[in-house]
Amino acid sequence: MTAVIEARGLRKHYHTTPALEDVSFTVGAGRIVGLIGPNGAGKTTALKAILGLTRFQGELRVLGLDPRSRRDELMREVSFIADVAVLPRWLRVSQALDLVEGVHPRFNRARAMEFLRRTDIRMRSRVRELSKGMVTQLHLALTLAIDARLLVLDEPTLGLDLLYRRQFYDTLLNDYFDKERTILVTTHQVEEIENLLTDVIFIDHGRVVLDIPVDSLPERYLQLTVTPENTARARALEPFYEREVFGRVAMIFEGRTSAELAPLGEVRTPSIADLFVAKMESGSRGARKEAA
Amino acid sequence: MNTPTAISPSERAPAAKTWLTANPPLRMFHTLVRRELWEHRALWITPLAVTALLLLSAMWTHGAMQIDTSEASEWLDPQIKIIVFALAQWALTIPHYLVMLLVLNFYLIDCLYAERKDRSILFWKSLPVSDTVTVASKMFVGCIVVPFGTYALALVTDLLFTAIWDLRAVIGHAPDLVLWDTTAFVKTQLLMFFGLVISILWYSPFLGVLVLASAWVRRNVLMWVTVVPLLLLIVERLAFRKHYFAELLAYRGDGIWGDLHMESVVIGSLTGVGRAAIASIPAIYDRIHIAPAFINIDLWLGVIFTVACGYAAARIRRYRDDT
Repeated sequence: MTAVIEARGLRKHYHTTPALEDVSFTVGAGRIVGLIGPNGAGKTTALKAILGLTRFQGELRVLGLDPRSRRDELMREVSFIADVAVLPRWLRVSQALDLVEGVHPRFNRARAMEFLRRTDIRMRSRVRELSKGMVTQLHLALTLAIDARLLVLDEPTLGLDLLYRRQFYDTLLNDYFDKERTILVTTHQVEEIENLLTDVIFIDHGRVVLDIPVDSLPERYLQLTVTPENTARARALEPFYEREVFGRVAMIFEGRTSAELAPLGEVRTPSIADLFVAKMESGSRGARKEAA
Repeated sequence: MNTPTAISPSERAPAAKTWLTANPPLRMFHTLVRRELWEHRALWITPLAVTALLLLSAMWTHGAMQIDTSEASEWLDPQIKIIVFALAQWALTIPHYLVMLLVLNFYLIDCLYAERKDRSILFWKSLPVSDTVTVASKMFVGCIVVPFGTYALALVTDLLFTAIWDLRAVIGHAPDLVLWDTTAFVKTQLLMFFGLVISILWYSPFLGVLVLASAWVRRNVLMWVTVVPLLLLIVERLAFRKHYFAELLAYRGDGIWGDLHMESVVIGSLTGVGRAAIASIPAIYDRIHIAPAFINIDLWLGVIFTVACGYAAARIRRYRDDT
């Protein structure tokens, strides 16, 4: 696997508050990686480090370049959407096209126009006159018309309604993604992108708590919805998380096999959203126990 | 994203191939300069409004400009008319440059701050443009585009104002006060041009400080660039009974003009010895020397300071984000 991003021992503190603590991960080419974590987990800090927008300690190579010293060069190959609210409000749509065409050697104006033709966006409109969904479409049109090897998305659909969120990811998959390109995305709306992801990285309190290809999840994690009479036996197998739903108990296990769990109830692979909640809550409980 | 297009055919046309396309760095810089003019529209709308007002005044002013008939013979003297013509050129530039100073001041304060205020800095930083080039484009607009754009507009205003006034004088709607004199015109414009070049170089440290403040100060840039110097003036005077900073500001205000002998030549000629001693405006201009200003070391030290401020602003912007 060709590494697009290689991070080793990233550390970053805001005054005394740790944002990244010894974070290491690798992102390969042609992957769609979800960097997922609760608020304040360090996701945005990690992305800013990857984009050369913040100082940090540790080793980081993005497309073989150090973002600290070669950010401008890197941004020719990397596209970035922070969130849709960052397009300047005074900018006209036609000016946005002129602007990106004027400064970006890999921008294809015809391609951007092709995207925009499928929308109601008018060339004379200013960004402040567009709805939030339209601003997203414009930003996406500008971004996807750049022949970039890495696309970084930080909460790209924040504040959008379901329709625009679905369109956003559909466009991303249909019009941008291929086996040569890589997408790194952070979002709170895990359930919306879990079917797109090839890899997930969970981050919490500045530390990576899980880094796994999605297709490896069934081998490593199983969710058991256990019948009441088998609850004690299931707990003996040491689930790292459990919750009660409608009188039934759902448990998540790491490193158990279907053969071990099937006699105790219904077994399936946990969704990424379920696994995320399980990891975060079990981590919090563990931290509370340690503190006590 | 499946609704019909709203883009007109003219907008679909590809960008015109220009010489800029053959030179990507130049094209990038050109685009960044255009961006400044798109974002800060006051930079070009205000000077155009000033031009329009001055030309309107040329069309409508009368009454107060009536000649006292008892002095008519003096005003009709061609020598006097040329002087009036030359002085009118200077007078017409004053509103342009005063407005330019005001607009430029607000532009420089805002140029690196606005992108943080509206969070668009994350969009700008998603483009492959270095902080140095970004800051350079803003300083280029402040040092070159706006001042020389103002000069060009003032020149056009001079020409149109004179043409309108002459036309009105011919048809009897205005007093015949001015007489076109090509030598006086060229020499006045050349003097204004070199005066502008010297002004840009001499006052550039103020520009550098404003750009630096725009990059550095987290909020209320205007307050910082006004209150902090005032406090410095007050503190050094009251606490230390010194006035080094005040002297520095005063020197940076008018220290260069003594090198040109403008005050003694122009004002002295016009007020000190009386109108009778004035041979001609071109003759007065001949006594002004531009070159000494360019060999004033403080001029170039100021330029170095400005470049250092620009470099510092770029370094500060390097790790600035929307927070």
